[in-house]
Amino acid sequence: MNSPFLEVKRLTKDFGGIRAINEVTFNIEKGEIVGLIGPNGAGKTTLVRLITGILKPTYGSVQFKGEEITGWPTWKIVNKGIVCTFQVVKPFRHLPVIANVMVSSLCPNAKKKGEWVKTVELRARDALEFCGIADLALELASVLSHGELKRLEIARAIGTFPELLLLDEPFGGLNPAETTLLANSLKRLNKGGRFGRLHSEEITMVVVEHKLSDLMKIVNRVIVIDHGEIITIGSPEEVVKDPRVIKAYVGREVFKGVS
Amino acid sequence: MSTRAYVYSVYQWLNVKIFAIPGRVIALLFFAFLFIVPFITANKYLIYTLSMTCIFAIFATSWDFLSGYCGQINLGHGVFFAVGGYIASMLSAHFHLSPWLTISIGSLIAAIAGLIVTLPALRLRGFYLSLVTLSFPIISHGIVLAFADYTGGEVGLYGVSPLTTSGTTSYYIIVLIMLFSVFFMYKFTDLESKFIRVGIIIYAIREDEITARASGINTTRYKFLVFFISSFFAGIAGALYAHTITVVGPSTLEVMFSFQPILWTIFGSIGTIYGPVAGVFLLYPFMEFLQIWGATEHIRYIIFALMLICFMLFMPEGVTIWVRDKIEVTCQRCKKINIMTRSYCRICNGPLHLRKEESEDL
Repeated sequence: MNSPFLEVKRLTKDFGGIRAINEVTFNIEKGEIVGLIGPNGAGKTTLVRLITGILKPTYGSVQFKGEEITGWPTWKIVNKGIVCTFQVVKPFRHLPVIANVMVSSLCPNAKKKGEWVKTVELRARDALEFCGIADLALELASVLSHGELKRLEIARAIGTFPELLLLDEPFGGLNPAETTLLANSLKRLNKGGRFGRLHSEEITMVVVEHKLSDLMKIVNRVIVIDHGEIITIGSPEEVVKDPRVIKAYVGREVFKGVS
Repeated sequence: MSTRAYVYSVYQWLNVKIFAIPGRVIALLFFAFLFIVPFITANKYLIYTLSMTCIFAIFATSWDFLSGYCGQINLGHGVFFAVGGYIASMLSAHFHLSPWLTISIGSLIAAIAGLIVTLPALRLRGFYLSLVTLSFPIISHGIVLAFADYTGGEVGLYGVSPLTTSGTTSYYIIVLIMLFSVFFMYKFTDLESKFIRVGIIIYAIREDEITARASGINTTRYKFLVFFISSFFAGIAGALYAHTITVVGPSTLEVMFSFQPILWTIFGSIGTIYGPVAGVFLLYPFMEFLQIWGATEHIRYIIFALMLICFMLFMPEGVTIWVRDKIEVTCQRCKKINIMTRSYCRICNGPLHLRKEESEDL
């Protein structure tokens, strides 16, 4: 039986009495880029954190390549091949940039047995080069600008050799030029190939984003959630025309006024 | 290779690795000084004081390794010291084992105690962890009093054999163990090491544990490792202490005793490994000499506290970092350490003393 790449079934999370995620069910196939959109407070970040195990779900299940990973510790899920970046960047501020990436390159999934630290360092450097911040390798992470920190997050994520990359607002706080650059490198990552010593297979991606215009260029499929529930799943062209999506984004009264 | 070429290569290695970096030259001179002290003076009390200083240097360094480097602030570090000391002295007083055996068994059992302490530490973070660790010496104090037949109770356990019969030999043994312990912990936490990768991971756990876990690092395992190593060296210090003063009492389980390594470490710069060594060697002999000069305990603590406040006012990051900033400069480009007197980097030949506007251009 061919099981889907990532299967989320009736995933639910309660924060006290508030239901942040309500019985969310969807599948992700290998090799696609999926956009996850929704208004503020819809539960996008919560969903990403539930999948990577930073938060534990109230009930429901997440299956990756046919294996149940619900309730696993985060590091174990990362070594299985799912890695996320953070919306609010969380680098190791007092470590050099290269060391930030080396931490993730040293995880059991990335580091082969008996491999020397020197090789790990070279690979971390390639990850930085791919993200375009190799010239800052020796600087402390605390001196980087916001855009560079966002790229550092992605370098840290691809350092672990992921198969599924969950990007939480990668374009947040970037200017248009940087956004285009990043979108192009994400496309390259998705196609797969060899980037220095980082030879990756095609990386499946879930991109959480507000800015629909940037997102629609790169994604194959969009999942729209609001109030912790999936409104619709479909191609970008379909989704932007869906009245329920417009309603969730723009609001009922304004929608009435426009129409 | 001829002898001459070999000597030359060693000289070159020294030149690059030690003589080029003022901090390392100071460390080398300091250890050389420790080795020649018995040749300069035959004063037994001085040798004894230096032995105790070395023991407390191991103790303070092990606290720095755990709390300064890995960020697990432990306010009850004395418990590992006491476990090492008590186990070693019980084995020595009741079973008359040789000091080598008692020290190794004592420090291993202290390390196991460290693993047990880790269990609550895995669930707690920050202040809550500190509060829980503060309770361990108090619990252990109760245990010591409850089993007074074996532990000596309130009076302490007498009859511990000294390390060796000669004070000078014991001193050399302690200095060597101190050297090894500090060097081991320094290398273990070295971020630039090409062989040991643990330093970066430990540092990352201190910086942000969630990110470390999201990078695929099993932080639980590394916390166990750090607690194990730290309590192992604290146990060595405790066992050496028991064999040096030949008595161990419940004073090692007092709260003040657990705070001493913290004071020394913060005085000498936290999170540097060499900082606590400097802190102990500056503060502990000073306090002992105050005692010789006739200051009572209260006056000593007043002087100690005033000194600490004054130093912290002018050197908020500790003595060693203050001195380091005065004698060393880091190259802006290649991040290698150079002596302050150079104007161009010894590795990349980049300019060292840039004004702020210039360094932003680089």
